[in-house]
Amino acid sequence: VEDLDLDEIVHGLTFDDPRVASVEVSVVRPGEPVRITHVLDAVEPRVKPDDPAATFPGALGTLRPAGSGRTNRVAGLAVLGCGSLPTVQGGPQEQEQIVDMAGPGAELSCFSRTINVVLSFSAAEGVRNEDFDAAVRAATLRAARDLAAATIGRKPVDVEVLEHELGGKAGDDGLPSVVLLLQLSALLPQLDVHVYGATLQGFQPTIMNPLEVLDGAITCAEYSWAAMRNPTYVYQNAEIVRELLAADGKRLNFAGLVLCRGYNQGSSGKERAAMLAAKLARELGADGAIVTTDGGGNSHTDTMLTVRHCERAGIRTVAIVAELGGLTDHVPEADALVSTGDIAELVAEWRPQRVVGGERRLDGRLAAEAGPIAVREYLGASNQMGQAFLRAASR
Amino acid sequence: MKVVHYLNQFFAGHGAEEGAGQPPVRLEGPVGPGVAVAGLGLPIAVTLICGDNYFAEHEEKALSRLLGYLDEELPDVLLLGPSFGSGRYGYACGTLGREAARRGIPAVCGMHAGSPGIQAARDYVYVVPTTPNVAGMRDALGTMAGLALRLATGEDITTTEAGEYSLPNPRRNELAGETGAARAIELLLAKLAGNVRTELDVAVDAVPPPPPVEDLASATLALVTEAGCVPQGNPDRLASTRARTWFRYSLSGELTLSPERYQSVHGGFDVTLANEDPNRLVPLDTVRAIEREGGVGRLHDFFYTTSGSGILVAMAARFGQEIAEELKQAGVEAVLLSGT
Repeated sequence: VEDLDLDEIVHGLTFDDPRVASVEVSVVRPGEPVRITHVLDAVEPRVKPDDPAATFPGALGTLRPAGSGRTNRVAGLAVLGCGSLPTVQGGPQEQEQIVDMAGPGAELSCFSRTINVVLSFSAAEGVRNEDFDAAVRAATLRAARDLAAATIGRKPVDVEVLEHELGGKAGDDGLPSVVLLLQLSALLPQLDVHVYGATLQGFQPTIMNPLEVLDGAITCAEYSWAAMRNPTYVYQNAEIVRELLAADGKRLNFAGLVLCRGYNQGSSGKERAAMLAAKLARELGADGAIVTTDGGGNSHTDTMLTVRHCERAGIRTVAIVAELGGLTDHVPEADALVSTGDIAELVAEWRPQRVVGGERRLDGRLAAEAGPIAVREYLGASNQMGQAFLRAASR
Repeated sequence: MKVVHYLNQFFAGHGAEEGAGQPPVRLEGPVGPGVAVAGLGLPIAVTLICGDNYFAEHEEKALSRLLGYLDEELPDVLLLGPSFGSGRYGYACGTLGREAARRGIPAVCGMHAGSPGIQAARDYVYVVPTTPNVAGMRDALGTMAGLALRLATGEDITTTEAGEYSLPNPRRNELAGETGAARAIELLLAKLAGNVRTELDVAVDAVPPPPPVEDLASATLALVTEAGCVPQGNPDRLASTRARTWFRYSLSGELTLSPERYQSVHGGFDVTLANEDPNRLVPLDTVRAIEREGGVGRLHDFFYTTSGSGILVAMAARFGQEIAEELKQAGVEAVLLSGT
């Protein structure tokens, strides 16, 4: 990113959408006394240099399988699309979403360590939530693509080659085969993750190449639980996928990845999805599995049932979960859990000198004078794909 | 040595229900049970008081104010209650004690084992067990004062005898050296090698199923739900997520929950279908039919509702205890609890 004239590129961003009344653009850097509010999504600038129109296929670009060919990324930079939904509606409610660039909250979020291009959107008069949401998502992904387009034709600072074969590198040569069960939320508009631009509602577990996950096939349209959800950036830079790729053929055999829906509906819906996910893992030859979580409460039950069905299928399983002053669900088979921290714990008060994204919190109070803020509100703080460092521990 | 004491409106002499809405206040010296504590050799410098309803309904504001007072006073120990078996008071004591302990102020509560404050205080607060009611005031104050005195003089208390009090075993957030992803892989490889380790040793508060109702045909049945079912327009403003309270609504003369008059404001699921027929949240139509056929003796005149979305376990435990207490007093013998 140091190679790019960021101000010039940011200045060149254009927004033209009748659903949006205005967009304010600001660039904030780690260590600055800035609080960012109402963050809807965070996206790393990426472009497919050989076919820019296919960047973020389905969600923004033309449909072409992600995960192959060359991708240019601007490492260390994130585009944060911010805004609050125009109307209060039934069902899951909008929750506060904060990134602090300094102070105690900055230790919690990976987005406190990136240079952030913050886009603050306000809705045009009379625009419905789903239309504003769609406009913000498209504009944020487009800005990420256009920022990265500045790299086309330039010499890269670094080139990384990532490879994955279904079944893993080692095959049968004695290393344990591990399958990643990646949970994606799908409940309602604004509590949804998109795969190639589509919701997973009515979806059953399916196999996906881990490189597709890293290459923009999955985008976020989920704005509940700031600490526990996965912004697009987290899929693009999924530590859990990268760690498994790095260990593939050395410490384990990364046999494959199964996409699972979180927020399955009804007890048989949850049970069926968990059973089918475990069955796919078994067919991929899994000796072990890692189950991730997206969101919370309801989806923790999906995680627990998936662990249970994996263990019943003879697959040793670890799950990654956040704590909500305790767990809302647990099965005895879940005997190896990674804690990503207690979201109810308060983070000490910090007063920013500047607030971007919106001066006032959803509860009407000034964001600069919010007092101690719960971990729950910090974007990515208790990320259950294991992206962050926070955990709760007994002393 | 500086000791701060926390009381609710009732024990501070500000009235029972009528003072329950009182916001936090700070008074010099001991008040109510604090006077007896002072007589036991533990001087109370400041008493903090908050109405139980105020704390329950404005927890963030109440905590912020109370913690502000503690930041000014910087006491050596915080004494809370005793709150005995009280739901809201116990919850406030446990929650404030926990937040104080997180700031490095040792906290001592006194409460009954069934109090939801036990959950709220979870792992952070020294808890002296008490009787369910004020009959055990003297014993409780004696143990609490002795414990607080030792803590105020800087003693690091790490052992307990004969269940005299329970020790805090704080579970706190910290930054690990590696990401959750890297730790997950380590835990999995260890588990595959036969070495099962976990970062979260779950002691779930398991609720054993109660014995079946002996004779439902003569029993009074109540409907309770966490489905966020409320009268249309949500007149009492039940929160969709992280509810602070529960409500009771009359079913007197009601045969069905019509969509014109009821709705769900639950924040954890798609309420579209539920709102087409709120009986699927609170099955009044079916239960009325069973009542007519003599399958249940009588349906209780009220249903009880909250939203379970995003709620903390301790808060949910408090709601449950409060609702159960009211149902018991009303002679209800069976509950149909619908969850979502």
